[in-house]
Amino acid sequence: MNLPNLTSADFLPLLPAIILVVGACILLLSEVFLSAHSSRGYQAVLSTATSVIAGAVSLTLLTEPARAVFLGFGAMDPFSSFLTFTVCVSLALASLTAAGFLRKRGAERGEFYALMLFAGAGMSLLGLSNELITLFVNVEVLSIATYALTSYLRRGTRPSEAGFKYFILGAFSSAVLLYGSALLYGATGTTLLSDMSGPLRAAMANNNGALVYAGAVLVAAGFSFKVAAVPFHMWTPDVYEGAPTPVTALMSAGVKAAAFVALVRVFISVGSGIDAQLPFAIFSTLALLTMVAGNLLAIPQRNVKRMLAYSSIAHAGYLLLGVAALFVSAPGQEFKLLGPTALIGASPEDVARVDALRGILYYLLAYTFTAVGAFGVVSLLERREDEEKGTAWDLERFSGLAQRRPGWAFAMAAFMLSLAGIPPTIGFIGKLILFRAAVDAGLVGLTIIAVLSSAAGAYYYLRVVVYMYMRPVPEGAHTLERSWMTELALVVSTVAVVLLGILPGPLTEWIAQAGTLFTR
Amino acid sequence: MNPTLDPNPLAPYLPLAIALLLAGVLSLIIVKLAAALGPKRPSSIKSAPFEAGSESSGPARQRFAVKFYVVALLFIVFDVEAVFLYPWAVNFQALGWFGYVEMLVFAATLVVGLIYIWKKGALEWEH
Amino acid sequence: MVPISYYLILAAALFCLGMFGVLIRRNALVVFMCVELMLNAANLTFLAFAKQNGHLTGHVSAFFVIAVAAAEASIGLAIVIAVFRSRGTVSIEEIRTMKH
Repeated sequence: MNLPNLTSADFLPLLPAIILVVGACILLLSEVFLSAHSSRGYQAVLSTATSVIAGAVSLTLLTEPARAVFLGFGAMDPFSSFLTFTVCVSLALASLTAAGFLRKRGAERGEFYALMLFAGAGMSLLGLSNELITLFVNVEVLSIATYALTSYLRRGTRPSEAGFKYFILGAFSSAVLLYGSALLYGATGTTLLSDMSGPLRAAMANNNGALVYAGAVLVAAGFSFKVAAVPFHMWTPDVYEGAPTPVTALMSAGVKAAAFVALVRVFISVGSGIDAQLPFAIFSTLALLTMVAGNLLAIPQRNVKRMLAYSSIAHAGYLLLGVAALFVSAPGQEFKLLGPTALIGASPEDVARVDALRGILYYLLAYTFTAVGAFGVVSLLERREDEEKGTAWDLERFSGLAQRRPGWAFAMAAFMLSLAGIPPTIGFIGKLILFRAAVDAGLVGLTIIAVLSSAAGAYYYLRVVVYMYMRPVPEGAHTLERSWMTELALVVSTVAVVLLGILPGPLTEWIAQAGTLFTR
Repeated sequence: MNPTLDPNPLAPYLPLAIALLLAGVLSLIIVKLAAALGPKRPSSIKSAPFEAGSESSGPARQRFAVKFYVVALLFIVFDVEAVFLYPWAVNFQALGWFGYVEMLVFAATLVVGLIYIWKKGALEWEH
Repeated sequence: MVPISYYLILAAALFCLGMFGVLIRRNALVVFMCVELMLNAANLTFLAFAKQNGHLTGHVSAFFVIAVAAAEASIGLAIVIAVFRSRGTVSIEEIRTMKH
């Protein structure tokens, strides 16, 4: 029997996930030794600190060369390290938001933060996964933690309803994903993504194409549920509305980022074995439907949290446009993705592909800062008493916010401009990079639709700004409680959104590296 | 192994048949022996038909205490994790110290879970 | 020996059964069982292909899927209990209260 020879180089990429898990275990074990009245202020701090440390470690891993780890079960590349960084940003900001949110409800418990960190570890590992079963296990690690988080608040009917819907939807999509993986395994005889292209070509040549296509379509459908692409978005708005707001923030940013990265990794491997036309057809259709439907459905929403849920769907559409741009190829042309070192002398399509990959990463980080910040403002304004009535997130709540809390209003305005893609914000730069890559890849028609639908989206984002700055404070408005931790999250996100919108240079430098993807 | 060359396809199942037979005979002997040797003090409750701890007569749609579900949940999780111990146990020698440490880490993770549910009081039946 | 295609057809049938069950059944627990059926259909597919190919990957995959499915079942049951406690019903029709 020959045993794998694992070295510390194999364990290095796991470091951020290990840090997150250790932090989660400390939170979990310290929680049970506390009495009901003990101070739990340390928990949010510990959770944030753990995320920040893990994020810092993932940044140092960004310069590691791309290689296979654990005998090809994982792929250590700047792409996955960048995802881990994005995930840690969303974890740190969501932990800070959760501190204010939970304290206001007297629901502060170590389990909440521990579950967030466990979910984060799952997301980070999902980015590394280069094998179908590893991928499935990590999808489940992050999903199971988020199911529990969604139904964490036990008072009232909404959290349990949201938790149940999310659970059924998530379990269903995981099962679809797994069945698709099983079919791909059957067609190729391997679960290692990096070994798949040869057997896939052989399977296509041997009239096993039906199995391959069925597998690929089911895997794509499974991921479409996870990223909430139309028409797989059915319960997403309900789940986002019913979940505790910091969890919604984490779901819209971290979970989505991890699912996108895994989706790109799977389909780059699968697409190199079959004609790239299939993934292109799937993702361009999904992108079209998701962009248009997400924006149109968001327009009538007067519930800001629900509006942000639809907006999150719309943004998944823009990201899918970037994914579709990865798979543009002439029929019969061999599909492969090049690292930036190989770009000298590469064809324009290859350059566009690497640009699209970078665009996706940039957009994911931009959306993380913006969305988590926006949900942070929402969590500051809501009160538990209004939740059952459904008025906790009404647009009226934002009336005159600029007079009552100018700082919050400014932050929210920055986030809304960023979501709408208006300069000088990070959202604008993200859209610019992503849409330019799509145009370079030749997707002019789809990009025009993307620009038009985001212009339609500007209406409902700017409506919030109008309410905050141009409406009077309503009669009998309840007092707004402050929370320095949530406000810290707002400050960090606002600075990132505005500063990186004005000076995108440093981030694009990093992302230029992160476009390297391990494929062999 | 080509199955058509095998003269008797059922031959590999012979040990299984012997095991089944032995198990049947043994359980029969034990039941009969217990009936023959044990003291008998019948009462109306004892002689009523009995199934899994619940009363056998009355409405079938009775509710169970949530405690049962909690125990079931914990049992499922900890029981299934044992699946991963078998492959390691079979290859214990070959996997060596590395495998041993890996399994310790795995077991430590489970212990964290155990401490958590223990301190949370999920294992207490009487509350 | 039973041909591999029989296992695959059985698995596909179970998967479709589970999928339609999730989409049309009204009882939360039944929906939940249908999801488990789908996972097990995938498991059966893995095992059938593993038998055909003669490697261990598919067998090992089944172990992992079983373990993950157990964890998922635990959290799912807990959520169903939470729904029942807050609403006194496990009918999906009555769980849908949020407006669209």
